[in-house]
Amino acid sequence: MTEMLTGAQILCRTLVEGGVDVIFGYPGGAIMPFYHALGDHPRLRHILVRHEQAAAHAADGYARASGRVGVCVATSGPGATNLVTGLATAHMDSSPVVAITGQVPRAMIGRDAFQETDIIGMTLPITKQNYLVQDVAELAAVVREALAIAQEGRPGPVLIDVPKDVQNQKTAFLGLGPRGSGLDTRAPSPNPQDPDGVREAARLIAAAERPLLMVGHGVILGNAYTEVRALAEKTGIPVITTLLGISAFPDGHPLFLGMPGMHGEVRVNRAIQHADLIVGIGLRFDDRVTGNTAGFAPRARIVHIDLDRAEIGKNVPVAVGIVGDARDVTRRLAAVVQPRTCVPWLEEIREFTRPRAAAFRGDLAPETILASLYQATEGRCTIVTDVGQHQMWVAKLYPYREPNSHITSGGLGTMGFAVPAAMGVHLARPHETVWAISGDGGFQMNMAEIGTMVQEQLPVKMAIFNNGYLGMVRQWQQFFHGKRYSCTPIWSPDYVKLAEAYGIPGWRVKDAAALPDAVAQANDHAGPALVEFVIEQEANVYPMIPPGGSLSEPIETAPAAGD
Amino acid sequence: MPASHTVAVLLDDALLTLNRAVGVLRRRNVAIEHLALRPSDTAGVSRLTFVLKTDPATADRVVQQFHKIVGVRDVMLVATEDSTTEV
Ligand SMILES: Cc1ncc(C[n+]2csc(CCOP(=O)(O)OP(=O)(O)O)c2C)c(N)n1
Repeated sequence: MTEMLTGAQILCRTLVEGGVDVIFGYPGGAIMPFYHALGDHPRLRHILVRHEQAAAHAADGYARASGRVGVCVATSGPGATNLVTGLATAHMDSSPVVAITGQVPRAMIGRDAFQETDIIGMTLPITKQNYLVQDVAELAAVVREALAIAQEGRPGPVLIDVPKDVQNQKTAFLGLGPRGSGLDTRAPSPNPQDPDGVREAARLIAAAERPLLMVGHGVILGNAYTEVRALAEKTGIPVITTLLGISAFPDGHPLFLGMPGMHGEVRVNRAIQHADLIVGIGLRFDDRVTGNTAGFAPRARIVHIDLDRAEIGKNVPVAVGIVGDARDVTRRLAAVVQPRTCVPWLEEIREFTRPRAAAFRGDLAPETILASLYQATEGRCTIVTDVGQHQMWVAKLYPYREPNSHITSGGLGTMGFAVPAAMGVHLARPHETVWAISGDGGFQMNMAEIGTMVQEQLPVKMAIFNNGYLGMVRQWQQFFHGKRYSCTPIWSPDYVKLAEAYGIPGWRVKDAAALPDAVAQANDHAGPALVEFVIEQEANVYPMIPPGGSLSEPIETAPAAGD
Repeated sequence: MPASHTVAVLLDDALLTLNRAVGVLRRRNVAIEHLALRPSDTAGVSRLTFVLKTDPATADRVVQQFHKIVGVRDVMLVATEDSTTEV
């Protein structure tokens, strides 16, 4: 049945139709008609953030945890520009986010009106698609298309810019009914049948002596855990997970090797350098993974499976490229591959393992903290990390057991991501525990979101690794800039008092003795809670491949004083 | 070895689509020798032709990026010329 509705009402109705149940946003002049209409749509829960950047990160966290589109809303001008970092983050990490921005009325566009900004132009390179809606008659179709584009194929962000007068305009609207659009589930990707590629890959696997499986975010996005595990177990090939692939393969599995790249374990990078075949599934051979590509996996032929054909051969030359969904292709590959084992190769890799040098002083070492977190949560929580040293410690030291239980900003490396993204994760998984782990630098970027958590009752657990520095930058200064700690010492407020000011419990942990109790109490608390870990100031992440260096030459100790 | 690669793109006749297409060329940091836009034989569809001066692998990478733009209907690498034979 057609009805006469305003653009603002159509926005709400099409979101509900598309299966959206929560939106993260912040109101303002140019988006007020939408906020007015929102009052009639109780199925859309609105989370009022403290900064639009947090709305975009929260929508991203929601999308990554649920596999469904995350939606954020902002007003024109500064509201829209505040979304940009979050959209760029979602774009780099292929996360399905839809952003709706208010715009000045059509007649004002192009006149530098109050709070007018060219958000379309600004977000062109960081969105899959964006729209300036010029006619209310197009609006319903635009929203439906945006929700579909965000999640089909390789997911990514889409922005819809809606002038205020279009939000107020009326038009005939034909609803599809809730979820009638069928867009709330991830659309299956068009999968060009490539039996030749799969057969050739199977042949290479049969012939290889030192094969590796390298698993990326595509396996999580494509829900291909079972298929990847089946392929690994049928062939005995050891498995590497990239930063965004962490938790795509169980940590305790005998074939699991760990994370490669700049801060990868020595044995993982050495395995890559000795491998004669790398089967990459759903990853893009990012420079943090490969180091200098000229020296990357010099003996290996590469089979690359990815949904995005533009990724095949973009960063490394491939012997066989298969364009397709990680799940479909891996299933077909696992079906045709000859069963085999890789016993001598696994023995060889075991030899690469070196005892980890005593990297930490004092008893509040990152591994001790993470062990107590694992204990308190029994390994059943989602961990969202920020960017820096703590991110690498968590990636390397936390034994993930549940698929898709590790969420981080990989491609863009956005500090300030963890706290707001964790709010989105909670809304996607309301019955599970979510921990946001940040450094003292990144935490201070978006700590205003504690206010959101309190107001909206989002029981996110926040952990701060406080080393008094912008730790990762300080580490680079120590290694590559003669230990000149230029502008990296960072002051922190009293986080326990900060928690108190927001009316939530907070703990400061300075030694291992106090650790288990504080973590357990925070974990079991019904609402948001905060724990600060005061860690060694100059602890480093080892090993480290210097930027642009080869995976064969890791740094494993700090430079001698005076270097 | 750098050569001149002529690429033809059929895309929706919409400024935003064109903007995205040209944005890919800017973003991927390649040298453009020539760029032209004209109507195609189909109403509502434009034909964007450009010449890239680069190695074949980079040319192919650029072509692949064009396939991802919503509103791009077809992308063809129509000619490759060794730049030494160029007039
Ligand atoms: C928004 C943003 N600004 C700057 C950087 C550069 N950067 C990368 S890691 C880092 C230090 C992070 O310090 P902190 O949050 O204290 O974490 P730590 O490394 O100490 O664990 C900085 C400044 C970044 N990644 N993101």
